Amino acid sequence: MIRLEDVSKRYPNGTAALQDVDLAIDQGDFAFLVGASGAGKSTLIRLLIREDLPTTGRVVVDDKDVAQLRHSQIPQLRRLVGVVFQDFKLLPTKTVTENIAFALLVTGHGGQIVREETERVLALVGLTHRSTHFPRELSGGEQQRVAIARALVNRPRVLIADEPTGNLDPVTSWEIIKLLTRVQELGTTLVMATHNAEIVNALRRRVIHLDHGAVVRDEREGLYAA
Amino acid sequence: MRRLGYVLTAAWQGFWRNPVMSVAATLTVSLMLLLFAFFIVTDRGLQAAVGALESKVELVLYLDDAAKPSDILALKARIEKDPAVARVDYVTKQQALDRLRDLAQRKEDFTVADLGTNPLPASLEIKLANAQDTARLAASLKDELGRGVVTDVIDNPTVVEKLLTITRVLSVGGIAVLAMMLFVALFVIVNTIRIAVHARRDEIEIMQLVGATDWFVSWPFILEGMLVGTFGAIVALAILALASQPVTSAMVGFLDILPVSLGANFVLQLALGVLGFALIVGGGGASFSVRSQLAKGARA
Ligand SMILES: Nc1ncnc2c1ncn2[C@@H]1O[C@H](COP(=O)(O)OP(=O)(O)O)[C@@H](O)[C@H]1O
Ligand SMILES: [Mg+2]
Repeated sequence: MIRLEDVSKRYPNGTAALQDVDLAIDQGDFAFLVGASGAGKSTLIRLLIREDLPTTGRVVVDDKDVAQLRHSQIPQLRRLVGVVFQDFKLLPTKTVTENIAFALLVTGHGGQIVREETERVLALVGLTHRSTHFPRELSGGEQQRVAIARALVNRPRVLIADEPTGNLDPVTSWEIIKLLTRVQELGTTLVMATHNAEIVNALRRRVIHLDHGAVVRDEREGLYAA
Repeated sequence: MRRLGYVLTAAWQGFWRNPVMSVAATLTVSLMLLLFAFFIVTDRGLQAAVGALESKVELVLYLDDAAKPSDILALKARIEKDPAVARVDYVTKQQALDRLRDLAQRKEDFTVADLGTNPLPASLEIKLANAQDTARLAASLKDELGRGVVTDVIDNPTVVEKLLTITRVLSVGGIAVLAMMLFVALFVIVNTIRIAVHARRDEIEIMQLVGATDWFVSWPFILEGMLVGTFGAIVALAILALASQPVTSAMVGFLDILPVSLGANFVLQLALGVLGFALIVGGGGASFSVRSQLAKGARA
């Protein structure tokens, strides 16, 4: 599903965010992307949805080299890969429902489908009772779940969550993880960037460890630290 | 269909998000369209006048409504004796009006204004054997003025020449002023949309990240520009409609002898032309703006 071949990313200011990264993630897999802050996790995610281009190497998603995509094909890639952003990127002037429906409306859906699908993901993340609230009226965990719902509403084959438990208390963090695990069990490929050791160690899933932009460890049923 | 629904709603909301800016842009566009319409109307009016005057007749004597037929016939006989004159025709008031009606029917651009009474004078139309004698004969016939028969001596080639000059000056000057107004209108629209795009940059970023096509990102703004154009056209056409009556009378007064007003067909063409021009300017300006803004945006 996802393949990185010798990928390096150097930002225009000279920062080498990724160096010679090779990895492959199969359809339906669950992978943790771990590493200290600044290790290059968010950069890797940006390359997957072509928010940015690799400096060298190839990023292949669904058998397509994302750098080779025509401009008009980028939207398809981004519908295939749903991202829960580190900063949520919710619109403050829209309610929970509107924020989620927005992703459907701007991808050309309308009417009945928007209502049904929005209700479906709201129920999935357990926020039906918050549907008319604005993001600022929600707790961090609830905002996180809205972001997840929006990423899921277009039924992506891959879900990427960038530090979804970053600012949450342990109980809320576990609720989010349970939610994401359930999504993965329903067949979606899940990639989760995190530096939450407790969760990584408890789940014993695949761990891809980044350090200063390089993959230093890639284990099937790994722990947070070697 | 539902795509259209989304885009239309977004455009409408966008227009009212910053009403001061939108209304200012609308009024600028109206002003430009008014100038546009004004030049077209004047140009067509003058062309119609030229068309009406451009006959083979070289000299026309307008006759006093109160002149006695015997005096008119005597004058006609006297003029016919001049060796430079080929022919003299007497045209009654009714014939003059019929002729104008006939012309108006063939030229769809204008109709005869309904004036109640017939403002056209009776006339003597003189054809010359030799056109070079026009000036001399016109000068000698000027002596007839004030004697109760002849009210005016019209030297047609000169009048036509003057009208053509006015038309030319108006076209050149009009195009220059119009180009300037077009530039101002485009500038205002481009900036209005730029501000709108900037105000919604977060929304645009999210749209692009969740997989919206460029079509979806840009069309609300392009339609917002077209909305500015449409409102501008409505304002301009409303002003034109209100002004058309006084302007027609002014034109009839200005051209004096030609009670022409613009035909329904021409009015329709003008309205569609103004609206089309407004849509092109509004949509084009917005499209330029949104494209340059999106090119600056995050997408790699
Ligand atoms: N847009 C950018 N321009 C320049 N440097 C950047 C940019 N984004 C991230 N970086 C740098 O690249 C490195 C990796 O950042 P990032 O991918 O955000 O790491 P992580 O998500 O693992 O914390 C860091 O050193 C960061 O400062
Ligand atoms: Mg990060």
